[in-house]
Amino acid sequence: MFEKVLIANRGEVALRIQRACKEMGIATVAIHSTADVDAMHVRLADESVCIGPPPARESYLNIPAIISAATITNADAIHPGYGFLSENAKFAEIVEEHGFTFIGPSPDHIRLMGDKVQAKLAVKAAGLPVVAGSDGPVLDTDEALEIAGRIGYPVLVKAAGGGGGKGMKVAESPKSLGEAFRFARTEAQAAFGNGSLYLEKYLGHPRHIEVQIVADHHGHVVHLGERDCSLQRNHQKILEEAPSPALNAAERSEIGMIACDAIHKIGYRSLGTIEFLFEDGKFYFIEMNTRLQVEHPVTEAISGLDLVREQIRIATGAPLSLTQAEVRLEGHAIECRINAENPETFAPSPGKVTDYHVPGGLGVRADSALYTGYSVPPYYDSLVAKLIVHGNNRNECLLRMRRALDEYVIGGIETTIPLHRRLVSNNDIINGDYDIHWLERFVGLNR
Amino acid sequence: MLKPEKPIEVPRSEIDSALVRQLAQLLDETGLHELEYATDHWKIRVARHAGVATYIPTSVPATAPGAVAPAATAPMDPAADASHPGAVLSPMVGTVYLAPEPSAATFVQVGDQIKAGDTLLIIEAMKVMNPVAAPRAGRVAKIAVDNGAPVEFGAVLMIVE
Repeated sequence: MFEKVLIANRGEVALRIQRACKEMGIATVAIHSTADVDAMHVRLADESVCIGPPPARESYLNIPAIISAATITNADAIHPGYGFLSENAKFAEIVEEHGFTFIGPSPDHIRLMGDKVQAKLAVKAAGLPVVAGSDGPVLDTDEALEIAGRIGYPVLVKAAGGGGGKGMKVAESPKSLGEAFRFARTEAQAAFGNGSLYLEKYLGHPRHIEVQIVADHHGHVVHLGERDCSLQRNHQKILEEAPSPALNAAERSEIGMIACDAIHKIGYRSLGTIEFLFEDGKFYFIEMNTRLQVEHPVTEAISGLDLVREQIRIATGAPLSLTQAEVRLEGHAIECRINAENPETFAPSPGKVTDYHVPGGLGVRADSALYTGYSVPPYYDSLVAKLIVHGNNRNECLLRMRRALDEYVIGGIETTIPLHRRLVSNNDIINGDYDIHWLERFVGLNR
Repeated sequence: MLKPEKPIEVPRSEIDSALVRQLAQLLDETGLHELEYATDHWKIRVARHAGVATYIPTSVPATAPGAVAPAATAPMDPAADASHPGAVLSPMVGTVYLAPEPSAATFVQVGDQIKAGDTLLIIEAMKVMNPVAAPRAGRVAKIAVDNGAPVEFGAVLMIVE
């Protein structure tokens, strides 16, 4: 087991990793920018190293500073969290070259899944259903027109080096394809330094359903069920639940096994999430995330498994702590992502938290690095808290989430708690009747 | 860094006034702003805020979560304050070397007059030696780090007056 882990992240996920390490008797090193000197995980960690000024480029994305910090503290392993360098294959390679264990998959798998074109080809070969598309990069608009004609409009022009919903443009017809293609190329080049594009059929009313897999170094793979993350704004997830209200047991089992099989064929290890669009009873692979995900607590709630602990154990070479037959998915869980933003305009609202009171009670979990008197810095993303509830069934969850949201106090800054309260009281949400376009329509209407 | 805990009422008999006086005197003599002294059972912090030293007793053991400042990576002289106008702060994370080679003389010594741009020390990070240059001319008043010590971004390296 590792003696010391360096947490290469910040905010609520750094605290999450800190907690898992503490429970395993592992010493922790918190690296932080000058803006995060008072962060809760920095206060709780055994050691801390300030690695740079506030901008992420000079701190949380600063590979030499992070490696240096690991060197001077004699860390054994580095946990990258999510975002930042967690899906940076170069970083994973450098970590390993310097003799530290990267808590995650191999650099090659990060690289493979980071290239959305290659990822699609690889999983298709491994047996996963994929969205009809170009099956490779599309070089110019002529090629795009030809392929789009074949797969049918509307089509989605996507960045091969993108992901997380960024760098995508819809083209409704041949007339708008040229422009969509050019726009997407410019945006992709600017955002990812990679203008390579591919095409996919645009689905009209899909749900976003993702499967959590865990794999060890010994070829064992299990799936822990799915999460429905259809409620998104600007491709950012706002509310997630497990299991999906749209799947039946047969569908769940089938997609879980197909996912495990593919992961096994690829030889992947560590945590991973395979994201699908689900429409009219069919699954279509869109991408794979080779890291811990923000919404992992809903899976933890229904499976009883500590995913970060499992991830750390796998990284030491230990086998999975359970077989597929031992996996028990019970009850229902919902997570609300609470951002420091105005609940209607979504304008960022950094600043000092004057009052902080966390809801409690049976089946309520709040993952947050906030505390009374803490100042939310303006330099990083706006997620400040995750409220997760677990119940015996979906109805109980909705009632519990409503109750918990009513108790949650985050004073001094604006948060999206009011938005979540409206969501969990909304008929469509109560009926589980929503797709990936639902939330955009809802907030558009409420503008 | 922690916010000081709110002062609580403590019966007079339990206050070791001799200790408080001793600590307050130490504050004055050394020019420090804050002093913390801990045993297994209690800790006392004496701080100068607007000229008043406050006594903050606590029954929380020094290892309670969140109650202990994380171990700084550089064992630093507390008088070498980052707010000192002559403080030279570390631009990176790494290991400090005060001489160009193990057997050589140190780049500078306390008392040296130096020019802007003179090398003060080296910080080694990922096997690359990075010289740290004096930001201004002056006299080396204090060398705040030991040879071979780890430093974080913003750590006080030297005071150049």
